[in-house]
Amino acid sequence: MSAVSTAPHDRATAGVGYRATAGVDPRTWSSGHVLTEIRVLTARSLRAMISDPRSVIMALVMPVVMLVLFSQVFGSVIGTGSLPAGVSYIDYLVPAILVNTAMQSALQAGVGLTDDMSNGVVARLRSLPIRMTSVLVARSLSDLVRGLVQLLLMITLAALLFGFSPAGGVTGVTAALALAVVVGWSLGWVFLALATWLRNAELMQTMGMLVMFPLMFASSAFVPVGSLPTWLRVIADLNPMTYAVDAARNLALGTAVGNGALLAVGISLLLAATGAVSAATGIRRP
Amino acid sequence: MSALMIETTDVSKSFGGLTALDRVNIGVPTGSVLGLLGHNGAGKTTLVNVLTTLLSPSQGTARVAGFDTVRDAVEVRRRIGLTGQYASVDEHLSGRDNLILIARLLGAGIRQARTRADDLLEVFDLVDAARRPARGYSGGMRRRLDLAASLVGHPDVIFLDEPTTGLDPQARLGVWEIVGSLVSEGTTVLLTTQYLDEADRLADRITVLSQGRVVVSGTSAELKAQVGQRTVTATFADAADLPAAAAALRTAGLNPITDTERRLVAAPVTGSRELAVVVRALDDAGLEAGELALTEPTLDDVYLALAHPAPPAAASSAA
Repeated sequence: MSAVSTAPHDRATAGVGYRATAGVDPRTWSSGHVLTEIRVLTARSLRAMISDPRSVIMALVMPVVMLVLFSQVFGSVIGTGSLPAGVSYIDYLVPAILVNTAMQSALQAGVGLTDDMSNGVVARLRSLPIRMTSVLVARSLSDLVRGLVQLLLMITLAALLFGFSPAGGVTGVTAALALAVVVGWSLGWVFLALATWLRNAELMQTMGMLVMFPLMFASSAFVPVGSLPTWLRVIADLNPMTYAVDAARNLALGTAVGNGALLAVGISLLLAATGAVSAATGIRRP
Repeated sequence: MSALMIETTDVSKSFGGLTALDRVNIGVPTGSVLGLLGHNGAGKTTLVNVLTTLLSPSQGTARVAGFDTVRDAVEVRRRIGLTGQYASVDEHLSGRDNLILIARLLGAGIRQARTRADDLLEVFDLVDAARRPARGYSGGMRRRLDLAASLVGHPDVIFLDEPTTGLDPQARLGVWEIVGSLVSEGTTVLLTTQYLDEADRLADRITVLSQGRVVVSGTSAELKAQVGQRTVTATFADAADLPAAAAALRTAGLNPITDTERRLVAAPVTGSRELAVVVRALDDAGLEAGELALTEPTLDDVYLALAHPAPPAAASSAA
């Protein structure tokens, strides 16, 4: 630390110390601009995401694994009889995985916030003259970006490796993608709210599991609802994911969507609003 | 504007049924250092959280840099810096990115933020590691980054949390020098520590908290005067030497006690010069201590002295 032990005295006598940097005057700094806060915090979240190679690999591998697992494992089991005519299982499956990947990404938003709350980063942010809601928005945006990357990767691989080419073409797939993004982003707000109230990494993971599995499997995601046992069918009919998956699937396959997409978007936005209000309240607690 | 940079008036804080702070009054003049001492659970963290606007008091008021911590929380946040458990750096980001982030959130433009960050990195000798994630920094580097992070916006007040715990003696001295420089430039410092020697070295005044209450407040000299003296301890390999050793110390004018079980003789002394007296006395008696130690009053001594200020004989209502 020799550089530090001599520097302060030199700097102090030169009239420049730890408090002063030539050309920089913090008294001219003006904080409190929402867009700047959000931009800076989003950039920070994104940079933190890619800083750890392992978590980057995990994030990219996860959708691929899901794709491979479900298409190969379930694909061989699902008889073509239970699928709509002329639809391969991969075309049937990928829209569902889009929605599910988006859901997983939403959970990550909550987990990421929980981590920041327990490792002192949020404490630091609280001590700065910023709005805590900016922290939430930044988290939501950065997870949106990550989710989008994962979804695009998955669609690309599905098309290149597994022959994903639904009748809806590029337009249909893009629409399905957009729907998945909206659903995932909205669900992210629910998990963010959960994070601000639970503030516990283990609880978060548990909640994640408890919520994810029913949402994923008690739906039309992997098998047609008709082939589910009665009790599961009841849950699936109530499961918002069923509507989201159905709508995404119809968009991709180019079949009639009806009100499905609007319904899915509507429910999602409602969840997003509820989540956002709850999260904003939750994070303001000390 | 008041000359007090930190000021609390009867601050109390309760969480449900638990009273974390009970009518705490402190006042820290501008450009001075207050050492906040206390064991874990004494209320130090709660008090600092109140002062740094993270918590609002259940009762009473707190003013930092002239602003009320509840009503003008944003103004307070512009003028304070935190380290340690009170605010961490982002491990995923590099040291440089951390400092730039804080500057930008304080309102700096990107250029000023970068300049300020680079300057602090140089001053704190972190230039080589500046672009690596903070996660990989050594303990000492991490401490320096924490300090740098607290100083980004030229704060009027910094809250240092146990700044030298776990550091080697040289690094310790380095941190103490930095704090000394900061204070000479007019920064006000509130320092929480468990070590009386650190408070002694750095603080102008010391406040001791116990169970949410201020137990005593004063300069280091005043506190030590209340606690008493240092102790010389001589440990012997052979317990048979103890009586002779005690006699030798008594002859030298000290007041030794003997601990047969731990094979030592201990005597309170007023200064380190008396260590030489002890050595000479033992030498003259032909005794050789296996271990000789001169110990300072510890925080426990402070607590003990304050919990039992009156001698047992003078039984009174004062506890």
